[in-house]
Amino acid sequence: MFKSVWQVIKEQLDHRDLIFRMASFDIKGMYQKHYLGSLWQFINPAIQVSIYWFVFGLGIRGGQPVETSAGPIPFFLWMLMGLIPWFFISPSIIQGSNSVYQKVNMVSKMNFPVSLLPTIKIIGNSLQFFILMILLMIVLFIYGFTPTIYFVQIVYYIFAMFAFLFAFTLLSSTISTLVRDYQMLLQSMVRMILYLSPILWDPNAGRVPEWVANILQLNPIFYIIEGFRDSFLGREWFFEDPLYFFYFWMFTLTILVIGSRAHLQFRKNFVDYL
Amino acid sequence: MTKQLKVEFKNVYKAFEMHAKQKEKLLELFSIERRKQRKEFVAVKDVSFKVYEGESVGIVGLNGSGKSTISNMLAQVIQPTSGEITINGETNLIAISAGLNNNLTGLENIKLKCMMHGMNDEEIDRLTPDIIEFAEIGDYIKQPVKNYSSGMRSRLGFAISVHTDPDVLVIDEALSVGDSTFAQRCLEKMDEFKKRGKTIFFISHSAAQVKSFCEKAMWIHYGEMKMIGSSDEVQKEYQKFISYFNKLSAKEKKEYKAKMLSSQISTVDNEIVKRPEVVKKRNIRHLLASGLMLSIVAFLGALLGLGY
Repeated sequence: MFKSVWQVIKEQLDHRDLIFRMASFDIKGMYQKHYLGSLWQFINPAIQVSIYWFVFGLGIRGGQPVETSAGPIPFFLWMLMGLIPWFFISPSIIQGSNSVYQKVNMVSKMNFPVSLLPTIKIIGNSLQFFILMILLMIVLFIYGFTPTIYFVQIVYYIFAMFAFLFAFTLLSSTISTLVRDYQMLLQSMVRMILYLSPILWDPNAGRVPEWVANILQLNPIFYIIEGFRDSFLGREWFFEDPLYFFYFWMFTLTILVIGSRAHLQFRKNFVDYL
Repeated sequence: MTKQLKVEFKNVYKAFEMHAKQKEKLLELFSIERRKQRKEFVAVKDVSFKVYEGESVGIVGLNGSGKSTISNMLAQVIQPTSGEITINGETNLIAISAGLNNNLTGLENIKLKCMMHGMNDEEIDRLTPDIIEFAEIGDYIKQPVKNYSSGMRSRLGFAISVHTDPDVLVIDEALSVGDSTFAQRCLEKMDEFKKRGKTIFFISHSAAQVKSFCEKAMWIHYGEMKMIGSSDEVQKEYQKFISYFNKLSAKEKKEYKAKMLSSQISTVDNEIVKRPEVVKKRNIRHLLASGLMLSIVAFLGALLGLGY
C-alpha cells in the first residue's frame, strides 16, 4: 500500500542532484530566445499584479482596505499574499501535469525514472517563487509590518504546498498521459480555482452566505493561501484548526497513494499511449 | 572460455492495438478483466534469438517489417506484449531523431544527456572534449541545436551516445544521415567497441555496411524472423529476395504487400484474458484501501463543508 509511495519518494531522494540540475536547464532553455531573458519571470507577474489590483482593488472595492481579524490591511498587500503562492501553484500544476506526456519519449530511452519529471517542473518554478517571497517581505517591511512569532509557520505552509503539488502532479501527469482531454479540463479548472480561492476576494467577508464559504474551504489551495496569510498577519497557528489540518493532509496523502500506484502501474506502458 | 550472454529474446510478440476509437482505449484501461475483442497489428511475431558479448548483429528487412519495433524493445522503450526479453547491462539506442533539446546549445545538450545517463560533473567535463572532437562540430557547439544541419544533429547524437559507454548499443539507421567520412569513423569506433566485448545491433539499409561490419545478421520479414545466421548468408538470401521482388510487376508487388500486411492483422474474438489471481487480489486490496482513504477525506470534507 505505502510501498509504492515510498518507492516514488525514494526515487526523488536518490536523484535530488539530477532534479536540481535538470530544473536549471529547463529555466535556461525557456528564456533563451528572449531578449530580456529570465527577467520575464518577474515582468509577467508584475503585469498581472497591476491588472488585478486595478480591477479588484480600485474598480470593485474602490480602494477599501480588507478587514481581517488582525485589523484592516491595504488590499494590495492582502492580494499579494495570495497571488504570489498562486503564481507558483498554477504553472506548477499545469506544467507538472503535462511533463510526462511531453518528455517521456526522450527519457524512456535512458535509465531515468519518469517520476522525476513533474518534480523537475515544480523545482524549476520554485526559484521564481522564493525570489517573489523575498520581494513581498521587503514590500511588507516598507509598509511598516513587522513579523510576529507566527511567521515561523511559513516553513510549514511552504512544505504543505510542495507536498500537495508533488502528490497532485504525480497523479495528474499519469492521467494526463493516458487521457489527453484531462489536460484541457485541468487548464480550465485552474483558471476557475483562481476565482474560487481567497486570492482576489475574501469569501469570509460576509458577501456570500456562510455555507458557500464553508464549501469553498474544501479546496486544498484555499488551505495553503489562508495559511500564508495567517503566517504573515499573525492570525492563527496551523494546529488551532485540527479538523482543517487533518482534512488537508488526508486529502494530500490520498492523492499521493493513488497517484503513485497509478504511476507505477502505467509507467512501463506510457510510450504506448502517446 | 564461454562468452557471456548479453541479450536474449524468447518468443517475443509485440502487437499494437488498432483501436477504432479513442473511447475503446479508455474502456480497456478501466475494465477489470482484459477483454481481447479488437483488431491487432502484430508487428513482431514470435522472435527468439540469443546474442553474446562482443557480437555485432545486423538487422535487415523491408520498410515496416518491424526492425524499429525490435530496436525499441532492445532499448526498453516499449515493452513486449508477450514473451521474455533478458538484457544484461545497459542499452543505448541511437536513432535519427536522437533526443536533443533544440533550444539548448550543443554544449548544454551534451551536459544534459550525460547527466540523464547518471554521470557526475567530473566525468562530463572529461568526456566533453572527446565528444566535440568526435562529432566534428567545432565552434558550432556553442550554437543552439535548432541551427544545426541534420547531419550535425545526428553526429552529435551519435557522439554522445557512444561516449556514454553502454553495454549494448542499438543503432537504428543513424548513420544514413552522415556522410561517408563520418560513417567510416563511426564504424571504426564501433570496431573498438566490439573489441572491448560490447554488443552492437546495427540496423541499416546499406548492404555494404552490414556486410563489412557485422558477422551475424538477421532478416526480419513482416514481423517474423525469416533468417538468422552469418552475415554473408543472410545478405545473399535477402538480396535474392530483393531482386525477385523487384522483378515482379507493379500489380503483383502491391498484391504481395497487401497479403503480407493482412497476415499481420489478427482479430481476436471476444477472448477474455484472465489476469493472474495474485494481481487481481492485489488490485482489489488497493482499490479497497484507496476507497477507505477517499471516504475518510469525504467524511472530513463533509464536516468542514457543514461548518463544524
